Amino acid sequence: MYDIQSIREQMLAKLEGVSTEREIADLKSTMFGKSGTVTGLMRELKDLPPDQKPRAGKEINDLRVELSAACDVKEKALHRAAIERTLAADEIDLTIDKPVRSVGAEHPLNQIRNKLTDYFVGNGYIVYDSPEIETDYYNFQALNIPPDHPARDMQDTFFLGNGLLLRSQTSCGQVRLMEKVKPPLKMICPGRVFRNDDDSSHSPVFHQMEGLVVDKNVTLCDLKGALDGFAKFIFGEKTRIRFRPSYFPFTEPSVEVDVSCFNCGGDGCRVCKNTGWIEILGAGMVNRKVLENCGIDPDVYHGFAFGVGLDRIAMIQCAIDDIKHLWENDVRFLRQFAKGE
Amino acid sequence: MKLPISWLREYVDIGDITPEELSDKLLSIGFEVEEIIKPRDDIKGVVVGHVEAIERNPNSDKLWICRIDIGGEVAQIVTGAQNVSLGDYVPVATVGAELPGGKKIVPAKLRGVDSYGMLCSGEELCVDDDVIDGASVDGILILPQGSKTGEDIMRTLGIDDTVLDVSITANRPDCQAVVNLAREIAISLGKKFKQPKLTYKTCDVQTALPTVKISDKELCSRYIGRAVVDIKIEKSPKWMRDRLRMCGIRPINNIVDITNYVLLEYGQPLHAFDMSVIKGGIEVRKGGTGEKVVALDGKEYAVDGTLVIADGEKPLAIAGVMGGEHTSIMPSTNTVFLEAARFERSNIRRTSKKLGLRSDSSARFEKGVDWQSVELGSERALALFDLLGCGKVTATVTADAVPAPEQKTVVTTKQEICGLLGIDIDKKTIVDLLKRQGVTVKSEGKKLVCAIPLVREDIDGYADLAEDVMRFYGYDNIIATNSENTHQTCGGLNTHDINTKAVKARLFALGADEILNYSFVSPDAADMLMLDNDDALRCVIAIKNPLSRDTSVMRTQLVSPMLSSMARNVTRKNDVLRFFELGKVFVADKLPIEELPQERDTLCIGLCNDGDFYTLKSMVREVAAVFGKELEFFDCNKTYLHPKQTLGFRCGGMTGYLGKIHPLVCENYGLPSEVYVAEIDIADALSSPVGIAKYAPISKLPPVDRDLALVVERGVPVGTMLAAAKATDPRIVDVKLFDIYEGEQIPDGYKSVAFSMRLQPSETTFSDTEIKSIVDRVISVTSDKFGAKLR
Repeated sequence: MYDIQSIREQMLAKLEGVSTEREIADLKSTMFGKSGTVTGLMRELKDLPPDQKPRAGKEINDLRVELSAACDVKEKALHRAAIERTLAADEIDLTIDKPVRSVGAEHPLNQIRNKLTDYFVGNGYIVYDSPEIETDYYNFQALNIPPDHPARDMQDTFFLGNGLLLRSQTSCGQVRLMEKVKPPLKMICPGRVFRNDDDSSHSPVFHQMEGLVVDKNVTLCDLKGALDGFAKFIFGEKTRIRFRPSYFPFTEPSVEVDVSCFNCGGDGCRVCKNTGWIEILGAGMVNRKVLENCGIDPDVYHGFAFGVGLDRIAMIQCAIDDIKHLWENDVRFLRQFAKGE
Repeated sequence: MKLPISWLREYVDIGDITPEELSDKLLSIGFEVEEIIKPRDDIKGVVVGHVEAIERNPNSDKLWICRIDIGGEVAQIVTGAQNVSLGDYVPVATVGAELPGGKKIVPAKLRGVDSYGMLCSGEELCVDDDVIDGASVDGILILPQGSKTGEDIMRTLGIDDTVLDVSITANRPDCQAVVNLAREIAISLGKKFKQPKLTYKTCDVQTALPTVKISDKELCSRYIGRAVVDIKIEKSPKWMRDRLRMCGIRPINNIVDITNYVLLEYGQPLHAFDMSVIKGGIEVRKGGTGEKVVALDGKEYAVDGTLVIADGEKPLAIAGVMGGEHTSIMPSTNTVFLEAARFERSNIRRTSKKLGLRSDSSARFEKGVDWQSVELGSERALALFDLLGCGKVTATVTADAVPAPEQKTVVTTKQEICGLLGIDIDKKTIVDLLKRQGVTVKSEGKKLVCAIPLVREDIDGYADLAEDVMRFYGYDNIIATNSENTHQTCGGLNTHDINTKAVKARLFALGADEILNYSFVSPDAADMLMLDNDDALRCVIAIKNPLSRDTSVMRTQLVSPMLSSMARNVTRKNDVLRFFELGKVFVADKLPIEELPQERDTLCIGLCNDGDFYTLKSMVREVAAVFGKELEFFDCNKTYLHPKQTLGFRCGGMTGYLGKIHPLVCENYGLPSEVYVAEIDIADALSSPVGIAKYAPISKLPPVDRDLALVVERGVPVGTMLAAAKATDPRIVDVKLFDIYEGEQIPDGYKSVAFSMRLQPSETTFSDTEIKSIVDRVISVTSDKFGAKLR
């Protein structure tokens, strides 16, 4: 009878001695190839007497399965060892950089604009765009600033002739919207405005965001609530706001709005010039004449409006000391805003 | 407006409130103090001393040893001045004192004698005779007998005052007057307001006072003339001069000073004419052709069409702006004709602008002078003439005016006021706060009938009253509420903003930094870009009152600002740049513009030493992809772009061009040669909603890749050829160029174009014959159209 046991031991011993993937491939062929040992045993099975066939068949098959499994294990181990040897050659210098193309930087002013827009949009405001070149009517008259009104001196306006001008405030957007859309309405109108003014704290082009809410039962307290939320969103939860009386022709009552100094918390410091407060915007209850001019009944509806200087907020938030930086487009300035803080 | 605190004290007992606290009070009622000015803060530790003993320094001919009582103690001081005598009162800089210029006083030994301080001259204290008599002498300032020993010299000299520079909002011209601002302060402090003295003696001297005729009642609604006789022109008293000076007005003489004093105190401009040169009656009229006035500034002004004060012969003064030299107060003036009038503010503003002449008077009239202050100002001036004893007020008065305007009445309710404010204030408080501001309030049932004082021209309706209640009730009482009683609204970004965000996000991903430029440029930009004379971009809207030539026309393109921004960086040694700007350009159909021009959203992308034409071409394709569009390219010429490296492109909603900047334009801007710019009118695309892309089924069958190398003449446009190749069969889903080669093995004048094609079966896997037929078709089409041969 075939000495299956000795073949088994012989084969396992050979397997033990194999040390390369090549050798194991050869060994497998001497076992399972056409003229391989195990293949030979299978072939000879047919010559056995029928009563021996089942037992011998099982023994041969068991041997084939065992050897095959042992080869697989050995083969995997050898393959792994072979790969691991190549890894050493892949060593690289981990201390250098090969940068990817940097993502571009959004201008800080627009980052602020988007941040504020997101806040108000989340509070139910729509965003309304209004032209930068305006008529005297929308920039002044409809906003309760008739010709020769002293309030015209408050804004050094650029004129283009024929009653056209560069808008000196985004408040024109109030009128344009209210002419088209009737209350209840909540909108912001961010955009460029222009004034004939150029010094270290003023630029002839700057950005405002107008806000307008018109509905029945709108109150000055609601204005404070809206601005309080806004101030906390921008300057932090501990921020307080302060109203103080002021004058704008298109609102009555009118207020200047200060926020508690984000630097000192209101104790007084260099940033707030020791007052504890920083002026950030003007606001008020929409003047009834403005509502009337837009065909809204001021005895039924009240409104509040506010105008934020975005450049100022950006300068405060990003600690920018000179407004000129916002317009010079120095790439060293711009790139600083490609990342957060 | 300048408010000296000493002046305020005359009308309100403000107690010992500090200037800082007063500023806070003013802020809370709507008046911002821009500056707390201490006109003299350069003297410290100088007091009034009384000379108790004086003797020569035995070691010197010129030095004196004084024993000076400086209030409770006696100091030994050596002086070199020769005008000090026993019993004099003198300014003493004590040890530790500081003088103007920073000089500090320390104990010293002069010729062997200890000296503890210094006697001061007027010059050393920086005061002259205008502040106190005797200050300009060569020697020590001898103070008046009876001066208070030990008193701070600042107080003695009347230079210790503090002045508040108060910003007055345009709706409150009435508060451009010391008395009216004092009244507001009195209300806010809960103190009584004391009216200035308005009474005076009159004399019976009959004077032929000129008649007054107002020919233009629109422009002059009130005119009061008074005569003051027996005028004695001299220096006005020190308190008056001090106050004028603190408010920035130079004292001249008692008559002129009185008019200026009243201007500050009552906000009423006055004018004093020498009555002896007025011929006939006064007429307030417009100047006629050829008429001129030589004003007090010595210059001659043509007054054709300008409101003037004229006598029977000629214009005497430019109404409300400046008096004439001819009728001005002279040392010889004996009788003064005092004018108090109310001129229409916008006319004064226009006149002042037209003549290029501004004065304290015109500045005041421009803000608006109310009806009552004309009379109050006139009366106050006469009281001052009387007080100063510089003239006798005659009983005669001449006045002409339109009827007094009626008091405005505002009818409101507590509910209306509180409904606007959002807080509940009881009716009594509302009424009380309004009454204290001079509003007469009658309660009729629920109604509050409010009669508004004439001085408050700004009050129009209940909203104004609500504001005036709040000013004194305190804005800190406004609480923050969250619009609980209003409708819920559905907010959101508009299409334009959503698309703008998407475009920018793509550009950031492509590595471009966002820049911002002014909306106006220099008209020279057109020449810098070498624009043709008839180029539409030259059709620029000009600003009538620009800040400078560099910012005087509205931009019609974003290229020149882009190049300027790059050039600024290049000069700062930053010359690798990838920028974009998304902004408006202003397109006028004709000039000058008569209606609103088009404002077109435009995108400009610029590369400087950061990529080439193809980089930029891919970038604009990416922008079009935001809108799901494929760009169509076409030939295009721009004067400022390289003639061989320029392409136009368009797709639905976008049109533009890209190219390399012309070398001459690079020179104009000081830019390196590798600068590429694309400009896209993106307005229509931004305003159309963009959806999220639809899924297209992905084939489960494996694609097949085939490479080809074709030889064509050098001039063959490869992009066009590859597009034609792709178009031969819908199963060619992608064509990728991987090499264009000229040189060895390729005939001169030819190039080899190597590309790879991906073939995608749709229903069953490809057979070899099918693949061959697709590839053969590509070869034959490119051969027919472009003369391509298989390499």
